[in-house]
Amino acid sequence: MSDYLTTLRELREKALKGGGPKRIEQQHERGKLTARERLALLLDEGSFQEFGALATHNITDFGMADQRYPGDGIVTGLGKINGRRVAVFAQDFTVMGGSFSEVQSHKICRIQDLALESGIPLIGLNDSGGARIQEGVRSLAAYGEVFQRNVLASGVVPQISVMLGPCAGGAVYSPALTDFVIMARDTSFMFLTGPEVIKAVTGEDVNVANLGGPLIHNCRSGVAHFLAANEHAAISMAKLLLSYLPQNNTEDPPQVAPYDPADRMEESLNSVVPANENEPYDMHLVIDAIFDRDSFLEVHSCYAPNAVVGFARLDGQAVGIVANQPAHMSGALDIDASDKISRFIRICDAYSIPLITFVDCPGFLPGVDQEYHGVIRHGAKIIYAYTEATVPKISIVTRKAMGGSYVAMSSKQMRNDLAYAWPTAQIAVMGAEGAVRILFRQELSKAEDPAAMERKYIQEYREMFFNPFRAADLGQIDEVIEPRETRPRLIRALEVLRTKVQQNPTKKHGLMPV
Amino acid sequence: MTLAERLTTGLNITILGMGLVFVLLVLLWALLTVMLRLDRPPAREAGEGIAPAQPAARKPVKLPPELLSAIAVAVFTHQAVLRKQAAPSMRSHWPGSILFASRWVAGGRHQQTQNWHPRGR
Repeated sequence: MSDYLTTLRELREKALKGGGPKRIEQQHERGKLTARERLALLLDEGSFQEFGALATHNITDFGMADQRYPGDGIVTGLGKINGRRVAVFAQDFTVMGGSFSEVQSHKICRIQDLALESGIPLIGLNDSGGARIQEGVRSLAAYGEVFQRNVLASGVVPQISVMLGPCAGGAVYSPALTDFVIMARDTSFMFLTGPEVIKAVTGEDVNVANLGGPLIHNCRSGVAHFLAANEHAAISMAKLLLSYLPQNNTEDPPQVAPYDPADRMEESLNSVVPANENEPYDMHLVIDAIFDRDSFLEVHSCYAPNAVVGFARLDGQAVGIVANQPAHMSGALDIDASDKISRFIRICDAYSIPLITFVDCPGFLPGVDQEYHGVIRHGAKIIYAYTEATVPKISIVTRKAMGGSYVAMSSKQMRNDLAYAWPTAQIAVMGAEGAVRILFRQELSKAEDPAAMERKYIQEYREMFFNPFRAADLGQIDEVIEPRETRPRLIRALEVLRTKVQQNPTKKHGLMPV
Repeated sequence: MTLAERLTTGLNITILGMGLVFVLLVLLWALLTVMLRLDRPPAREAGEGIAPAQPAARKPVKLPPELLSAIAVAVFTHQAVLRKQAAPSMRSHWPGSILFASRWVAGGRHQQTQNWHPRGR
């Protein structure tokens, strides 16, 4: 018996050392932590239960028989984050560059299955050079197994990918299929084909950072949702993000004991919208003043900045926020903003997180480029996502709500539950100047003083449509409220809507205009 | 036996019986009194144990104001991090708590998700 125990202890000891002291040292020199060090930061102390620590590959080609490491380059198991059960995996770059093998796949699939069956979130710490070439098609099939489970778990249990190193080739699809991607600055990158292949195929000269660095994926492609300063910050971000998400799609996110008065009225809101309608203001000021102090976690903060999405807490309860950003492109909706908004709405709907929408949008961005790239199809995603969502939905029109954007941004017809408007709201089919030129074209062409007449008609149009009272009169706005009242109003409304249940027609799945 | 003798005998028996009962009651009372006296804790001297215990005099800890400020900031920051991460000490409900979920919501969500049938089940 003692021999068996000695063997077991030796194997365990070997597994703990990963690729060995030299490789661990190299990992540290790169400014990176090992898989186990990362898990120690992520999980509550003493909560980790490892599975498959002794698993090794059975490949003998290319000298692989001599390269067997217990665990085979990945650490998987169950643990707790702030007392909440989670399934985790961490790729170990010190073992053969974290290359993705069949055994790695089996280990990841095992905890994916456990996470799905137990209804607990799955967090992956990615740091891998790609597929293990020596394993050939085995490693490709292994990817497929993981992707399949990513898809099946999508919208059932939260899946978070933390990118802490390279992720190239087919491997990128697994993080892309998860709900959120967090990238650590300087150490992480993601791309399908590397700079050398691109150079050979298209002749384009690009380096790794400009091709698939964290800034590119956070600000340009939208593949990543959060940019973290370093590995520690990335892991902290995962813990923070998890606090807004439930364990699975039938439960609610954790509720924090209220710490900000529910009846707090923020006087600054009454003057946040400038008198000049063409003057921008920062929607972040509105959000910060209304929701629980310091609770806003912006998602995609760098990508499509003309829209703002993120999580916050209202009287301790997690909510999702969708807003136009008048400080950027006047808050107009374009292709990227439509993608960003629609994806976020679906995440909130999947995890039963109420949606609060702030509308200040002059419309969809006009332009040949936008039309050529399908702004119609992308804009339709917002309508689809809002209509499909069954969570509580509340909208507040702060200023402009023009044309199609008014309809799309959580209007009554998008199965909205409550529509509020501030007195500064302007709800119309289009802007005054454009409308007058169309409506009074003949009169203006015959007038002795067309400019004066145009000004007169514009003034009349503004008085008629550039306020929320007409919409309230027609029932399209439930209540016109003082901006400072917004917080208590929202809290009271959500208190009522907390138990909202709405069913969609039975179907295999809808056909979202993706 | 004449009527007078019978009455006298009855009276004697009554007096004897009742007297015996009262004597026994007096003896019992006396016994209880003695037992209570014996069981009572000894009387304390006047003033003994009344004065509250004086706390041990603490030596004033002199920390530099900068250190005190840093400690305060660290405590508040830690609390803010715990709150932001919805740590157990900051939660009003445990995630998935039965106390929190209403039957209406639980039933509704079940209906919303009932079209999922894992393979082999």
